[in-house]
Amino acid sequence: MTLRNGSKATLGRFLALVTGLIFLGGCGGSSSSSTTSTPAANNTAAVTVGFGPLGATGGYVNGIFTSVTVCAPGTSNCETVDNVLVDTGSAGLRILNSALTTVPASSLGTITDSNRDQLQECVQFGDTSFAWGPMLVADVELAGEKASSVPIQVIGDNSFAVPSQCLATPVNPSLPNGGNEDTVATLGANGILGLGGFGYPLDCGSYCTSSSDLTQSGYPYYVCPAGQACSATTVPTQDQATNPVAAFSSADNNGVLVTLPSIPATGAANGTVSGSLIFGIGTQSDNALASSATVYALDEYGNIAAFTYNGISYTSPTNWSVLDTGSSYLAFLDANTLASVGIIECADASGLYCPTSTIPFTVTALVAINPSGTGTMTFNIMNADTLFNTNNAAFNDLGGDSGTSPANDFFDFGLPFFFGRSVYIGMMPGVFTGESSAPSGAASATNGYYAF
Amino acid sequence: MKITLGVLLILTLGTVPAWAVLGQYESSVSVDQEYLRSEDRVQAFQAYKVHQLTTANGTIVREYISPQGLVFGVTWQGPFMPNMQQLLGSYVTNLQTASPAQTHVRHLRGLIVKTNDFVFVNGGHMRFWKGSAYVPSLFPSNVSAEVVR
Repeated sequence: MTLRNGSKATLGRFLALVTGLIFLGGCGGSSSSSTTSTPAANNTAAVTVGFGPLGATGGYVNGIFTSVTVCAPGTSNCETVDNVLVDTGSAGLRILNSALTTVPASSLGTITDSNRDQLQECVQFGDTSFAWGPMLVADVELAGEKASSVPIQVIGDNSFAVPSQCLATPVNPSLPNGGNEDTVATLGANGILGLGGFGYPLDCGSYCTSSSDLTQSGYPYYVCPAGQACSATTVPTQDQATNPVAAFSSADNNGVLVTLPSIPATGAANGTVSGSLIFGIGTQSDNALASSATVYALDEYGNIAAFTYNGISYTSPTNWSVLDTGSSYLAFLDANTLASVGIIECADASGLYCPTSTIPFTVTALVAINPSGTGTMTFNIMNADTLFNTNNAAFNDLGGDSGTSPANDFFDFGLPFFFGRSVYIGMMPGVFTGESSAPSGAASATNGYYAF
Repeated sequence: MKITLGVLLILTLGTVPAWAVLGQYESSVSVDQEYLRSEDRVQAFQAYKVHQLTTANGTIVREYISPQGLVFGVTWQGPFMPNMQQLLGSYVTNLQTASPAQTHVRHLRGLIVKTNDFVFVNGGHMRFWKGSAYVPSLFPSNVSAEVVR
């Protein structure tokens, strides 16, 4: 066991070395870098809200999608992939193997160890679903922005079996394919664009650079030598799945601004809601931190440190939180706690809220830094069954349980929170060299911030 | 009598690949401790005891022990999602049976299971995972479910 750990640590060092060579090759092989003074990049990508590629029957409500262009590194050999889920609750770009046709995975750069074995990842999500596949290097374009040689994950490539260390989390039979997100049918999208809505641009960071955690269940990175079981490996941060925004060559690399229009209480039809993903905060005329916005610093875990609701205190890390475009409802508090205000669960045991009338909520966040003090998060909750019966695809008032009591509740502010708002998601400064500094109103947020 | 059972349980666990804690005797905590390579700190309260296992990377697992010596609740927090089979033992079946279908919706960040015999909450985002599970029927009398946090 000790011996295996030792050899794994050695693999990590080789990974760093080999990737360094890849990056060098990428630079040397292409001489297309522009030398004229460049105008500000088009920093606005369109997003649409709806059921996604599976439609009304197989898809989900409040999916938010954009297009991502993936290029073989250092070339103009590019493919635009549509229907990529915009997920501020994860970090890193993950694209289905099946969505890469004209630029197949085989044309992307590889990250290998000294034995030429390719780096693989098994990334887990909170609902116990997971995605498995190789880490590859691509140039990534979003609107007019470009990130060169970014590690991305290609998922649904079944070259190797999913390691048991990853599947050790229970398979949730109610999820499609037991939670393995390997096809459009199971993912409901062509990929996930993880914009790191908890302040941090990498999916693992320092937890994956040292060999001490290799035996931990849920550890994400592996190599799979021929004829052997996959084994966990350390990975330097530059080879980990990365929020492409953090790697933009422009100054628009310190965060994103998500803007979605207001919609009616009974929802909006599939495909009728469009909005913007604006890159950078305070870096161009269209992404200045609005003076009307309240800025909330994140704590060391990437959470808002404390909330109160109805006289009850909720504090991180026990009661964690995220502003999360990747989830289609507001998972907050629980039906026991909220029974007194009229929240009841839907009859189908989905854990969604089905109050008999619309209920307004005000949750107080206690850690605003600009203006300093407290701020409020307001939204309504309507009967989920009533909403689904409209056959609409976008809702600003869909909610459900996050736990069972204040001892285990969390605040997952899903897509409903984003309608009618401009939400700034500011990245932790200093993780990437060349990152633009945060605007003055958020300069003291050393772990990243939210503003809205 | 209780001690004998505990010893028997350790022997059994030593030969079975599954690590099981929730619903089992306190002695099974040491198996987790070994698996997690963690420090074990014990807090004693009037009606229950808590083992807190802390690993080098900051993963914290708390295991709540009733006066009868049974683990009635566990919590976890850390950079990776834990091995649920290890922490939940046979209660993984309850989790699998009662996980709600995600019809109409997608909730990438969490999973909540609430039944009369078993309560499970897991969630988080990359680099931060948090959760708890407990068995209401094993709670000591006059102890609130909210102690498991």
